[in-house]
Amino acid sequence: MVLIPEVVPTITASLYLPAVYLAMIVGFLGLTGIAIQKKDIHILILTDLVGLAMLIMVAAVGTDLAEALVLPGLVVELAEIMAISEILISREMRKIENAEPIDRVIARKHSVFPFPLKLDMEIMTTAPNFIALVMILYGAFLTGFTGGAVAGGGILFYIFSRKARGLPVIVIDGIGAISGFSWCLWIIGFVLFFIAPQYWLLLLFMAACGLFLKVASKLGLIGAMMREEYKKE
Amino acid sequence: MDITTLGGNILGTIPLGDIVIYLTPFHLFMFVVVLIFTALIAMSRTETQVEAEFGTLKESKVSVGLSEFKTRRFLAIVCGLATAGAMITGDLFNITLFIALIGIVNVGIVSAVKQVDVLDAAYQYGIIAMISSLPLFGGAAMILAATGTLSLFVLSGIAATPMMIFGAILLLIGIAGETGIAPFFATKAEMFRTPGSPFILIIHLSSLMVIIRAIEVLLIIVT
Repeated sequence: MVLIPEVVPTITASLYLPAVYLAMIVGFLGLTGIAIQKKDIHILILTDLVGLAMLIMVAAVGTDLAEALVLPGLVVELAEIMAISEILISREMRKIENAEPIDRVIARKHSVFPFPLKLDMEIMTTAPNFIALVMILYGAFLTGFTGGAVAGGGILFYIFSRKARGLPVIVIDGIGAISGFSWCLWIIGFVLFFIAPQYWLLLLFMAACGLFLKVASKLGLIGAMMREEYKKE
Repeated sequence: MDITTLGGNILGTIPLGDIVIYLTPFHLFMFVVVLIFTALIAMSRTETQVEAEFGTLKESKVSVGLSEFKTRRFLAIVCGLATAGAMITGDLFNITLFIALIGIVNVGIVSAVKQVDVLDAAYQYGIIAMISSLPLFGGAAMILAATGTLSLFVLSGIAATPMMIFGAILLLIGIAGETGIAPFFATKAEMFRTPGSPFILIIHLSSLMVIIRAIEVLLIIVT
């Protein structure tokens, strides 16, 4: 059974096995590192290495279907690492809360400690409006996942720099809702694409714009969440 | 093995391009059972744990606050829906994604508690779940590379090759780690000390149902 079409050069097709072996070596190295490390935060970071090996393994297939599988794999990986790091932070905070009086704690080291960010850079006072505008416009022009990432980076930078200067940011509580609704737009576009392929252009734009809004607002959400870290100061 | 041998007569298929969902009595039964359980859990209220105190005759009560209750109920419903999705889907990669979602949500359900022990267990389980995403997705990708399809309906008609069997073994390791069953259960055991019982039940239920479905999927691939 030959599954590889003839237009694919032999060298590309022969790269599959080396890529799988590479993924296994990377995964094995990551697991060895996890076995050796003692601190929780280092284990968490090394776990991400194993996740990268997973991405290599999926990407090694190299078809467009595999490309569609890399994205969910990446998202799952990111979601898991965010959830686990959140657990790690809350656990360390509980430990600090329950700890003995301060004079006896000095000897004990915590593996991670959430600290407020303090930044003083010139680019944060002069550039944010312009850069954010350019990035959002360029992202809207690109659409899709890439555009969403670019525009989201702009929003993130804007919120970040305003917050670092101590200026108030309009609290956009509905930003999560925007993300959710545009995600629905993306999904509806996809489902209709299967059911009514003759409207492919409309559905393509629906999915692309939905994805753009979703990624951009989600990155903006990270910026909005960052406010909480400042409040702790 | 044939799909009808494993799940009973095929009631129908829903072709969505490459993804073909097929319905058998087995899938429908599991799907409905999970949905009923999810509905029951969504309606129920949390328990209040009563713990005996050491050295006295007093006892302390551990109850769940309203906001924590709401978050946890939401996550339990998501977990139930993901399990139901894993029961009915006919696509190999969708199953892996649903299982990964169950893993994340299980961590999320217990993440808001105050006990350090439970958080420790959730952290360990999360690490195992993340590591086992390598064999989980890697196995699915390997089966895709060997056969060119992810649809279980098509896979049941393809004779197994060594690469498919290797992929299936990877898949099994991944599912075992992600749901936290036997070899990895020690990481997860302490999580059940969390107060708020009915929502904790869905963690058990999801891994149980997923394993039953996973065995069917592996039999379809391997034989």
